Amino acid sequence: MLRQIRETLAFRELLRNLTLTELKLRYRDSVLGFLWTVLNPLLFLLILAFVFSRLIRFEIPRYTLFLFTGLTSWLMIQQTVVIATASIVNNQGLIRKVAVPKLVFPLSNVLARYVDHGALLVILLVFVPIYGAAMGWSLLFLPVAVALHVLFSLGLSLLCAVAYIKVRDVQNIVGVVFQALFYATPILYPVEVLPEKFRAVLLWNPFYYFVEMVRAPVYRGALPGAGDSAVAAALAVGVCAAGLWIFSRKEKYFVFHLS
Amino acid sequence: MIRGMRSERTKTDHIPIHLKNVGIQFFISGERDVSLRKDGISAFRAAFSRRPKQAFWALRDISLEVRKGEILGIIGGNGAGKSTLLKIIAGIYPASAGDVEVRGTVAPLIELGGAINPELSGAENIFLLGSIYRIPRREIKRRFDEIVEFSGLRRFIETPVKNYSSGMFIRLAFSTIIFFQPDIVLIDEVFSVGDEVFQQKSFEKILGFKEKGATIVLVSHDLGLIEQICGRALVLSRGRAAFLGTAGEAVVKYHERLRKGEALDAEGATSDTAEAVARLKAAGVNIRRWGNRKVEIGRISFVGKDGKPKAAFAPGEYFEARIPYESKLGGGERPIFGAAIHTIYKMLIYGPNTLGSGWGVAGEAGEESRGAGHESGAGGLGKREGEGRGEGEEHGYGAGHPIPPRGVVRFVIPELPLFPGDYLFSASAYDPSLSIAYDHHDMSYFFSVVAGAGAGVGGAVSSREFGLVKIKSSWTIEP
Repeated sequence: MLRQIRETLAFRELLRNLTLTELKLRYRDSVLGFLWTVLNPLLFLLILAFVFSRLIRFEIPRYTLFLFTGLTSWLMIQQTVVIATASIVNNQGLIRKVAVPKLVFPLSNVLARYVDHGALLVILLVFVPIYGAAMGWSLLFLPVAVALHVLFSLGLSLLCAVAYIKVRDVQNIVGVVFQALFYATPILYPVEVLPEKFRAVLLWNPFYYFVEMVRAPVYRGALPGAGDSAVAAALAVGVCAAGLWIFSRKEKYFVFHLS
Repeated sequence: MIRGMRSERTKTDHIPIHLKNVGIQFFISGERDVSLRKDGISAFRAAFSRRPKQAFWALRDISLEVRKGEILGIIGGNGAGKSTLLKIIAGIYPASAGDVEVRGTVAPLIELGGAINPELSGAENIFLLGSIYRIPRREIKRRFDEIVEFSGLRRFIETPVKNYSSGMFIRLAFSTIIFFQPDIVLIDEVFSVGDEVFQQKSFEKILGFKEKGATIVLVSHDLGLIEQICGRALVLSRGRAAFLGTAGEAVVKYHERLRKGEALDAEGATSDTAEAVARLKAAGVNIRRWGNRKVEIGRISFVGKDGKPKAAFAPGEYFEARIPYESKLGGGERPIFGAAIHTIYKMLIYGPNTLGSGWGVAGEAGEESRGAGHESGAGGLGKREGEGRGEGEEHGYGAGHPIPPRGVVRFVIPELPLFPGDYLFSASAYDPSLSIAYDHHDMSYFFSVVAGAGAGVGGAVSSREFGLVKIKSSWTIEP
C-alpha cells in the first residue's frame, strides 16, 4: 500500500494533468462553463428549500441555510463517489496500454470534484451572513470538516471502483443506495423530527456525522460535539485506509478485467 | 517509469531486463460476465456461484536476460505471446509466475494511440503524454518546439486530436516519447503507421537511443527489420520460447517452423476455440469477425499443390486457401465469397470475389493449371476466369443455382505472384448486393512467402526483382 502511494506521488504530474483535463473538458463546450458547477447544486437547493419551507413547512429558523449545510456535506461525498466509481473502467484504454499507478485515476476524479466543491463552499459562506447567521470562529473548523470529507469519499470511491471492475452493476447500485441514504440522513429535516426510537438507528448512518461536521460550525456557529467528531474522524480514516489497502492489493489485476 | 521499485533487487546494472521462468495466465470465461442485466435468477446464480474458470497460460517459462545497449527482437505468429511479453516487461500485465526484474526508465511504444485523449488538443496531449511517461514538465516545455517540429503537426497542434488521422495520432505520441532519454525502449510494430519519411526519422531516433546505451526490445512481423537491427532474437511459439539466439539464426528457425506449418497451427488463425480467441485477445490482436452468420465460414487453411496444409509458400508456387462454409440460406439465395491478401501493415494487395471473378469448375481447382494463359486467373475464386463461369453453371453453381448447404470454397492462385514476406488473409461471404455480411474474417489468417520454401515454378520472382507483387511485364527497346 505504501509502495502504491509512493508510486502515485512519483506520478503527481500525471495526477495534476488528469485532474485539469477533467475540469477543462467538462466545461469546454458549455456556455456558462464553470458556473454550472455552482448553479447545479444551487438550483437543487432552491427547489428543496422552496418545497420544504413553503409547502411542507419545517419550523426551523433559517431553513435554507440549515438545508444548505446538510446538502453541501452530502454532495461532497455523493457526487465524488458516484463519479469516481467508474474511474478505472473509464480509463481502461490507458490502463491497458501504459503502466501507471492506477490510484491516479480515482484520485484525479476526487480532486477534480473537490475543486468543484470548493466553489460550493464559497457560496455556502456567502449565504451565512445573508441568512443572518454569525460568521464566528467556528468556521475555522470547516477545513478540518472538508479534509474528513475528502478522506471518506476517497475511501468509498476506491472500494466502489474495485467492486465496479468486477461487477458492472455496482454503479447503478451505488446510485440507488445514495438516493435512499439521502432521505435516511438528516439533510432536509432535523434529527428532532424523528421519533425517539429511530434516532438510535441514525447513529449507524455514517453520513449523519459528516453532515454534523458542516452543519455545526456553519449553521449553529459552534464546534461539533467531540463524540460526533471522533466518529467522523474514525470513519474517514478507517474507510480511506480500507479503500487504499484493498485497491492496492487488487490494482495489478485490474487489467485482466478490462477489455 | 519507476519500474525499479517493482523489483526488490537487481542482479547487475548491465542486465536491465531479467526474466526468470515468467508465465502469465489468463482466464477464459467468467471474468466480466456477471451482470444483472441477464435475467434475474440466472444472474444471481452467476454472481454468487464460483463457476470453474478455464485458465490457460499465454506465456510460460520464459527466461530472458537483455543486456544494456542490446536490441532484442521478438518474433512469432499472431497470438504467440509477443505483445503480452512486452506488456509484462512494461509492467502493464503482472506475471502470474516467475520473476520479472526491470531496471531503469521504460518507454513502452506499445499501442501508442491508447494514451492519447482525443478531446484534448495536440499540444495538451503532449503534456499529458509527457506525464504518463514521467518526462518532467519543464523538459517537455523546453523541447516543445522540437517535439512539434519532429511530429510535423505544427499546423494542427491546437486542434483536438479527435480530428487527427490515425497516422497523425501515432506521430504525435511517438514524437513526444522519443524526446526523452529512456533506459529501455519497448517497441511493438510502431513502424506500421505513418509515412515512410516519418518511419525513417523515427527509426534513426531509436537507433540513436541505442548509441546512448538504451536497451531495446522490438516486436515485429518484419523479419527483414529484425535481421537488420537486432543482435539477438527470441522466437515465441504458443507462449513458449522456441529459440533464443542470434537474429539471423532466429529468423531461419522461425521460417523452418512456418514451413512445417506448425508455428501457425494454433496461433496464426482465428479458430473458434475459446483458447485461441483468448490468446489472440490477450496479445492485443483484434479479432475482426462480423456478419449475421447466415453463411458461416469455418477455419480456413492454406494448402499446397499436394493438398497438404502449409503456411509458407515460395514465390510463384501454387497457393490454395480452403474456406469451409455452412449455409443456412434457403431458396435461390447465393452468397458471394471473397478473399483478400494484405501486407502485415494491413495494406490491401488484392481482394477479389466471386461476383467479379465468377466460379471455376468444381473438382478442377486443385489440378495443374493448364497453361500460362490462365495466369490472369490468379486471385480469382477458382482458377479460370470468364470461361470458367460458363462451365461452372453446368456444374450447377452458376448464377441462380443454390450452393450446397455445406462445402469448401477453394481459392486458388496457380502461381503466387508475391515476393518473400508475411501476408494477412481475409475471407468473407456476403449477400449478392455485397451490403450484408454473412461472415467476414478480417485479416485473421497469416501466411508467409519465403524464397526457396518450395519448388518455385516459372513465375518465381528472382533476386533481381524488387517489390511486393510480381507484375507481368516485358521490356523492349526501339531505336
